[in-house]
Amino acid sequence: MGTVGLTLQWEHRISSVAGEGGPRVEPSEIAAGQNRATSAPPDDAALAAGCLAGDLRAYERLYQLQGARMKNLARNLLGSQSDAEDAVQETFLKIQRGIASFRGQSSFVTWAFRILVNTCYDLRRSRVRRKEQTHDDSNEMLPWPEPRAPGAHPSLRMALERALGQLTRHQRDVFLLYEVEGFRHAEIAAMLEISETASKNTLFQAKKNLRGMLEPPRSAEASVR
Amino acid sequence: MNISCNDRERILLDGSAEEWAALEQHAAACSACAEELRAWKALSTAAEELRDHGEDPALWAKIEDSLRQQVQQHSARRGFWERLGFSSEIPLGWQTALTGALVLVLTLSGVYVVFHRHTVDPGQSKLLKNSALAEVERTEREYMKAIDKLAADAKPQLDSPASPLMASYKEKLMVVDGAIDELREQAGRNPSNAHLRYQLLAMYQEKQQTLQEVLETKP
Repeated sequence: MGTVGLTLQWEHRISSVAGEGGPRVEPSEIAAGQNRATSAPPDDAALAAGCLAGDLRAYERLYQLQGARMKNLARNLLGSQSDAEDAVQETFLKIQRGIASFRGQSSFVTWAFRILVNTCYDLRRSRVRRKEQTHDDSNEMLPWPEPRAPGAHPSLRMALERALGQLTRHQRDVFLLYEVEGFRHAEIAAMLEISETASKNTLFQAKKNLRGMLEPPRSAEASVR
Repeated sequence: MNISCNDRERILLDGSAEEWAALEQHAAACSACAEELRAWKALSTAAEELRDHGEDPALWAKIEDSLRQQVQQHSARRGFWERLGFSSEIPLGWQTALTGALVLVLTLSGVYVVFHRHTVDPGQSKLLKNSALAEVERTEREYMKAIDKLAADAKPQLDSPASPLMASYKEKLMVVDGAIDELREQAGRNPSNAHLRYQLLAMYQEKQQTLQEVLETKP
């Protein structure tokens, strides 16, 4: 695969995809703008109004629209299917409890994902505390993720998941939200309460770090001239 | 647009569409930039491996259940406050005024309790319930009526004591009556105080016993 030295079984795939110029590549907000659909559905306000009115169908609609993505993000943040389900469930309960405080400063979906991310970190902290109480001497914050979709490439996925575990919290969040879940930087900024520029910088840093972890050392020639 | 390898990181970070096109063009002739570009794109592609957006209707069923439960719990809590009259339909100003009044009443009650604590009998903890109190008061009235009849029978002997013993009985009855008056006054202030009622009963019994002794004593 040329000089791209990603040391995994996915070399061929990466090489070929890179050659194709895949649809979800940088510049993220511009070139992929057509593909990176905004997360706020057209009926975002109606959805928020329905939830505010206590209409369970509105919550069901939210789940239909974002449930799979919420669960996927939670699983990637928590590394466990059952914890992810707990996090999504808790998120819906928090939405129901806190919907009156939603002021529409961001989209409703963005607000929901912000709650999800915070819930995941709350769950993770409580899990770490439980671990400490049971004198588990494992130092890892993230457990080895559980097997997922049978079609997924196991080595590639595992390598990436391990590498993600080495990133800072913000880098991991931004990478997952942008690259995996397809959110825009503006949405990520609203979710994580950071600036859009900070989101872009964090993604850049995350990808640089991931590349460093997943690739063998490059030759001096390959460095920026 | 002409770009060099030095522009690469800036474009990777936040380049415009034109700059990306120019970088692609530059990478066609530059192996280092081509490698960087491919690796960069490869990470995006690899990220797709972490995407599993399969539907999970079972999870929604769980969530729906928990949402319903939460609504029920919330309704139960709200019902409690509404029963107390704290409806959200009351204007905020009135709610504030009500709360202020409540705080004032509680404060005054607290102050009253603090300043009157020393007058409270330690036996006050033994409080009589309203129904029991009514029963005690009714029985007490009947008992007093019976003792008054006894006192009326003994009155001639006591009014003109013929012996030192009778004079002593008279004196004793005056002391007992004084104690009864005092206890009745206290019981009037604390009608639910069972301890006071027991003391009063003991005094009535003492009076009854003394009157019986007076009547049994031969003039």
